[in-house]
Amino acid sequence: MAHIKVVRRSMRPEEWTDLRFGWLKRYIYNEKYEIENLTVRDARQVAEMQYEYYPEGWRNLRKGDMYFTPDGTAFFKADVTVPEHLRGKELWFSLKTAAEIIVKVNGKYVGGVDPNRDRILLTPYIDSDVLHFEMEGYNRSKPDDERNPESLSVRGCRQIFEGAYLATINHTVLDLVYDLELLLDIAKSELFNEDYRSFLNREINNALNLIDFDDLRNEDVAEAKKYVDDIIYANDDYKGNGDVALVAHSHLDIAYYWRRIHSVQKNLRTVLIQLRLMDRYPDFKYTHTQAYTYEMLEKYYPDVFEELKEKVARGQFEPVGAMYVEPDCNIPSAESLIRQFMYGQHYFREKFGKTVRNCWLPDVFGNSWILPQILKKSGVDYFVSNKMSTWNDTNRFPHNNFIWKGIDGSEVYACVPPTHFITWNMPSQIQENWEAYQDKNLGGQTMSMFGYGDGGSGCTEEMIEVMHRFNKLSVMPKTEHMGGQEFLEKNLKDNKSLTKWDGELYLEMHRGTFTTKSKMKRCNRQLEYKLREAEIISTLRHLKGEEYPHAEIREIYKKLLVNQFHDILPGSHITPVYRDAMADYEEIGQRLDKIIGTGSKYFNSLNFPRTHLTFVPDENGDSTRYGKKGNWMIPNLAPLSSGEIRKDEFSGEWCKVGEKVVTPFYEIVFNPDGSIESLYDRVLEREWVNGSFNKLVLYKDNPGVYDAWDILPNYTDREVEVKVISPLEISENNSEVLSFTCILATEKSTWKRIIRVFRQSRGIETENIVDWQEKHVLAKAQFDCNVLTRKAVCDTSAGFTERETHRNTTWQQARFEVCHHKWVDMAETDGGIALINDSKYGVGLLENSMSLSLLRATVRPDVTSDLGHHEFSYMIYPHGDDFIKAEINNIAFQYNVPLCKADLSFESSFGELYMQAMKRSEKGNMTVIRLSEQNGKRGRLKLGQSVKLLNFLEDVIGETDTVEYKPFEIITIGIE
Amino acid sequence: MKNYIYNIIKPKLQGDGGEIDFISLENGILTVLLQGECSKCLIVERCLAWIESEILRDTGEKVKIVAQKKKPFFWDKD
Repeated sequence: MAHIKVVRRSMRPEEWTDLRFGWLKRYIYNEKYEIENLTVRDARQVAEMQYEYYPEGWRNLRKGDMYFTPDGTAFFKADVTVPEHLRGKELWFSLKTAAEIIVKVNGKYVGGVDPNRDRILLTPYIDSDVLHFEMEGYNRSKPDDERNPESLSVRGCRQIFEGAYLATINHTVLDLVYDLELLLDIAKSELFNEDYRSFLNREINNALNLIDFDDLRNEDVAEAKKYVDDIIYANDDYKGNGDVALVAHSHLDIAYYWRRIHSVQKNLRTVLIQLRLMDRYPDFKYTHTQAYTYEMLEKYYPDVFEELKEKVARGQFEPVGAMYVEPDCNIPSAESLIRQFMYGQHYFREKFGKTVRNCWLPDVFGNSWILPQILKKSGVDYFVSNKMSTWNDTNRFPHNNFIWKGIDGSEVYACVPPTHFITWNMPSQIQENWEAYQDKNLGGQTMSMFGYGDGGSGCTEEMIEVMHRFNKLSVMPKTEHMGGQEFLEKNLKDNKSLTKWDGELYLEMHRGTFTTKSKMKRCNRQLEYKLREAEIISTLRHLKGEEYPHAEIREIYKKLLVNQFHDILPGSHITPVYRDAMADYEEIGQRLDKIIGTGSKYFNSLNFPRTHLTFVPDENGDSTRYGKKGNWMIPNLAPLSSGEIRKDEFSGEWCKVGEKVVTPFYEIVFNPDGSIESLYDRVLEREWVNGSFNKLVLYKDNPGVYDAWDILPNYTDREVEVKVISPLEISENNSEVLSFTCILATEKSTWKRIIRVFRQSRGIETENIVDWQEKHVLAKAQFDCNVLTRKAVCDTSAGFTERETHRNTTWQQARFEVCHHKWVDMAETDGGIALINDSKYGVGLLENSMSLSLLRATVRPDVTSDLGHHEFSYMIYPHGDDFIKAEINNIAFQYNVPLCKADLSFESSFGELYMQAMKRSEKGNMTVIRLSEQNGKRGRLKLGQSVKLLNFLEDVIGETDTVEYKPFEIITIGIE
Repeated sequence: MKNYIYNIIKPKLQGDGGEIDFISLENGILTVLLQGECSKCLIVERCLAWIESEILRDTGEKVKIVAQKKKPFFWDKD
């Protein structure tokens, strides 16, 4: 029997309502006066506030003309005399555009238009009937708009100009439009009571029946509005429940599908729009993050910044976040994260006289366990981050309002709002937030953020207008508009019912960002250590009477911190953002080299003896590493001191090469591809290999639309063939090192592996030199260890975290790829294998296997991502005992911190604590030393003199000559 | 022409997440490969017309652009 699908072709009553709603919107404007003398000039932004102009110069811009160019900025101007019939009326400027345009009239910034808003109120800001318009627009690059998918059809680099107008508004119509916007959202949402939605559909229809759309009269619209008030708003038969706090926010990616230079204007537009809304709506409060964005505004738009300061003083504009930018919180070191707070908080204190008490990171890709301590010691008690609730791909994160306990035991109040940080404040989104809220009855109110974001722009008049109507609707949750800190203090502070999360806030998504854009991660790692060194050396020189380069170091640090932004360092951005970052890294490196200078002796910047084999560059050396000549030497340098390094005079035979390679530590059987068939430990008398070991494995890596961000759990399904072009053979053999080289290749890429074994080190290094031309491929180094364990230990940069390696529950299953810093270790009670790297962060852990993620090849947002030359190394380090007794962390420091030359020394002992930083205080009145307990031990440090105890903002919080410390504690002392 | 595409046009398209590569120029037909955001842009023809006019202005050469689009698998449904 044939089946015929019945398709309803006649219009449903709800569609008739929608149609009339659309018609009604056409009457929002009472009068429109076209600005016909607009001229435009095309340009391309090349630096902050700097532009290259197209040769055409100024040209007329008429309705229907094309405007904007790829990566283009357009400048507009027009002189308009307000026509007689509009004078004395509330005057608006209207321009419908897919771009982002900042509007200045008679020298005053009056607002912005963009895809989310097409009009600006002029009247309060003009005092003349002659208007001089100056506008600057950046073509909109945000890749998607969830609210208006149809806008995708007009998104592109060339736009059709739809005209610019002076206009007046019909507020009777506009009022009803906002009513209907609100009511239709409820009527269409299955989250609300079905009977109420039927009631709404019926009564909205009745209200609209009062209007004759062929001859629309204001009195009829007013009548319809009255009907809505009397019949719909007056009905309280349908009771909603819930208690939702509405917090206005605009997320601004300072680089993403746009360069950092563009975020100066994106931020101005966002701030300006919010300031103008505050002018109109005195109850409107808005939260804005990132001291960097405030700095840019102050630098380039001081008048607007002054307005912002006034609004901050009035409590409407709220600086939140405390940090300099919203950084990635997986990859940056503890010291970098501390500086994000220090520079951020110092700015907020200086400009607004306040210490921001919350950390606000709506969009970051997971949060390291070291954060709570850093927050607490930076004056921050509250943490806000959205992604775990809405983006986790496997498990529902079980809390929204809770206490987050950090690695050292520090606790902060945390809020992971149940829904996205970008909403447009519609009833259905608020209801969804309430329903998703998991701490009902325990956590107080739930937070719902509203405002457009990613590219900024923020809240709209509509969002505020509908918010003012919420209390008329009994079916909605109770709502309250408030500031960010207000919400946190009201609901979390001293709340004894809150449950506790003890561990990292792992995001079950975006696991690829530990690896994407590998070179950036390497530069960031190297520069973090170089900055440390520059500060230590500058401080020691200062103690000898030289001037400390305060301003230079501060500027360099901030440049590095900006590049730790969560769409820069993780690699989720377009090509020009990558180029900007690499240029910054180059500049930072050069400036730091200048600060560090040189000396006659080698300087050990580590506060423990440097006794591990180190490669020391020397053009007359007999070894080669990363293409440079040098020698492998044991520096034997005392902590924080300089000295001569001598190469060991050794002329005996220390290794044998046959079927097995025999060294003082191992008998090794290599495969032609550089993988290790057998690694027998002659000292510990055990085999370390149980499967593929040091094997390069390439997988097809097709994560879908979140290409740069994600690795999927099925990434091992398809391997990419790797051929041995040149099998492993000896390439270097001297008194310290025996090197083997092999060349592997795919159809597109070549991979040179240089494997080194040493006379005086248990380490086995693999240097990788890669010409990478893949697409959608993930490269890993696989290590199947002969170790029975259920956990691995990962360095966090400020202590270690243990991670389970089994897949018993969905929580472990979801963590198939995790972040680590310098090393990861798998061990039994009497020995194990550490894997120490010089620039890698992603690692897969499964039973007895570690797979170090080396390179990816993604195409979105950057089709050129990771293509080209790469160099990096890692070291296998089998050891007896556990990783602490084996001093893996110290060895990893020595592997990552190159020796420099400087004739300096510092007499002090900090026991087992790692000296994370030594600097002059920001005020310049003392030497600041930051010590980090990294081995999970409690202890006491006698300093031999009285010192100031400081927090991370360098506030004095006490004085002592003995420091009692807890496991994983980070301590800051000041010596005057 | 190849240099013009690589040095002048490419950086601009990259600024919007797009990508262009030169394939050939024969008898006034300039064939290019579009990737990234350009590969899924619904109004890319406007941009191609603009590139033609830029080429004419800067090089004096009148070309007709034919674009091949290489869209990643995850956008194929669009």
